[in-house]
Amino acid sequence: MAAGLKTIIALSFVLAIGFLLVILSSALFQSYLTLLVVATYTIAPLPNFICGRCANPDDFMESSGSAIIDFGRFCTGFLVVMGVALPALLAHSGLIQVPAMVMSIIGGLLIYGTIISFTMFFQEEQDF
Amino acid sequence: MSSHRLFRFPKPEWLNGPNTRTAGVYLAGALFSLGFFFFIDASSYSKSSLNGSNVHIKFVDWIPGICSALGMLVINSIEKTRLSADSYSYSGTGVAWKARLVLFLGFALMAGGLAGSVAVMVLKYIVPGYPTPTLYFGVANVIANGLIMLSSVVLWVSQNMEDDYTYNLAL
Repeated sequence: MAAGLKTIIALSFVLAIGFLLVILSSALFQSYLTLLVVATYTIAPLPNFICGRCANPDDFMESSGSAIIDFGRFCTGFLVVMGVALPALLAHSGLIQVPAMVMSIIGGLLIYGTIISFTMFFQEEQDF
Repeated sequence: MSSHRLFRFPKPEWLNGPNTRTAGVYLAGALFSLGFFFFIDASSYSKSSLNGSNVHIKFVDWIPGICSALGMLVINSIEKTRLSADSYSYSGTGVAWKARLVLFLGFALMAGGLAGSVAVMVLKYIVPGYPTPTLYFGVANVIANGLIMLSSVVLWVSQNMEDDYTYNLAL
């Protein structure tokens, strides 16, 4: 892969910006609840990994394995929306301020996008 | 397969693919999360200092959401192929009947949750005539239960899509 190094540098740059935004959003406003966003987005791809491990990919007809995979995807979708909904919830009930909410949502999306892009690149390598 | 269809418009091709099914499952999780956090938002707002009134979200408000989530769990954990199991001889006696009974219980729980959320909104918030920030607790409850129901529908439809797909693959 020719673009591998450039991609990795760009991705780590984006990851650093994401962490910077989230940490600024908590440190500037003296309320550290927005760090929950990092935790949420970090554990968001985990159900997919774990359930993909549990299910046997060889048999198509086995519906129980498919159900486990579906459960993992359901949990991932839940956690991704939770990463957006949690800062909005905190801002709505006055625990953090609205600029902190915006910064943490953008930072969280950047972090999650980095994780997803990394996974896609690794999977592409594993296929061949 | 197309000759058995009821409607005159053909089923679009993308509806049968595995990607649509995956997207449907993700969408179901996202919708469930959105509904859940609508309600969590209302309850945390009722505890926060922004809530001017002395009306709070109590356990009564939680009951419809719990019913809806339980109904969703029951509906989507049923093996779908057992619903028409009576036509196969090897599936034992009365399996389809039991599956339909459990499915009915799940749908009843879910509909009960939605109706209960409307009942809570009307009885607790509309009839006493509370103003908007307090009325939001009831509205959020209805939105949460509706989104959980929508999520269940999306999950059900996308799981049925999977059956079509594996059927095509098996042939």
